[in-house]
Amino acid sequence: MSARIQGAAVVTGAAGGIGLAICRRLAASGATILAVDMADRLGATVADLETSGAAVIGVQADLTTASGLDAVLGSLDRTGIALRTIVNNAGITRDARLVNMPAEDFRDVLEVNLGVAHRLIELTLPRFEHGTIVNISSRAYLGNFGQFNYSMSKGALVGLTRALALALAPAVRVNAVAPGLIGTEMSMAIPEDVRERMVSAIPLGRMGRPEEVAETVAFLASDDSAYITGEVITVGGGRSLSR
Amino acid sequence: MIRAEDGDLADALNSLSLPEGALVFVANSALSDGWTAVLNELTAAYELSQTAVKVGGPIVYLVEGDDLLGRRGAGRAMVACGLLSAARTLALETARAGVPVNVIAMGATTTHDALGSWVELLCGPGGPNGELIRLGADHLGKALP
Repeated sequence: MSARIQGAAVVTGAAGGIGLAICRRLAASGATILAVDMADRLGATVADLETSGAAVIGVQADLTTASGLDAVLGSLDRTGIALRTIVNNAGITRDARLVNMPAEDFRDVLEVNLGVAHRLIELTLPRFEHGTIVNISSRAYLGNFGQFNYSMSKGALVGLTRALALALAPAVRVNAVAPGLIGTEMSMAIPEDVRERMVSAIPLGRMGRPEEVAETVAFLASDDSAYITGEVITVGGGRSLSR
Repeated sequence: MIRAEDGDLADALNSLSLPEGALVFVANSALSDGWTAVLNELTAAYELSQTAVKVGGPIVYLVEGDDLLGRRGAGRAMVACGLLSAARTLALETARAGVPVNVIAMGATTTHDALGSWVELLCGPGGPNGELIRLGADHLGKALP
């Protein structure tokens, strides 16, 4: 278990597999969680977290809208707890080769994966005296067939991480985590034969677990990583090296 | 197709001998940190890249080396790093057809002549694909983007 994580932690994309694991892990270290997601299943996520003793507030909101962002800020202010951690985890995919990629799919992915993180940080910075930001990028920032939009958004998120790390130091540390193939609902929807081929290219021989991503996020959000900023940590089982 | 906001650089790039359908996209160095500006810049890259890919044209994205490391603001960093990742992905998609997609990171002292030589090389056959060429010296000893 890493050092305690104090104050409030905003986690976007909280109802997904990785988001839920991040909420659980940060709560276990002492953070009060603002679990943000637009999905209806957020209610079940919050109930699940409360059952395990977490201090959690659910905010069902579409963060691509001004009203959605206002809802997060309003909830944060009502807690009266200082914001210390932001985890930008919300993300979607709309895969296609560039030659066939519709403009709408390009923009939707950029808006959710990058625009939401950018605007959430921009709006919450005045409430952020010191703390940490962890952006959930993807191993796809190194390139992934059929994901021009997703890869671009996750690479841009790395750029945002670096720029903010320089601009906000020393008060705020900013890092990114780049998960590879993780065993979530999204990856389990990949056809089994395709998934098996993907796993066979991973040196560690398996998909990652959401909890393994969450552990890395907790490390970066805590004082255990007090001398780390502007970095990208890949949680990908060695896939960035193999053929 | 040359897309460059800087007139002198655009002139230098337009004087090059490039293959049919080639795209040279120069990231806007006057970009603000606002989301709309960033999204518009990345959307322009998407639209022009899609046009180039449909006719089998090679692509070179030109960015500032400092922007890959986030040294000159969030907006420019998002665009530079986003283009690099897009190039890496697109290179995978075009590799079988032998169409290269690369990125050049310009340094503070990079001349238009030097840049032109690299652009012509990267648009030609048999060269690198999915690579980042970093010119100048400001990146030495620093992070690999």
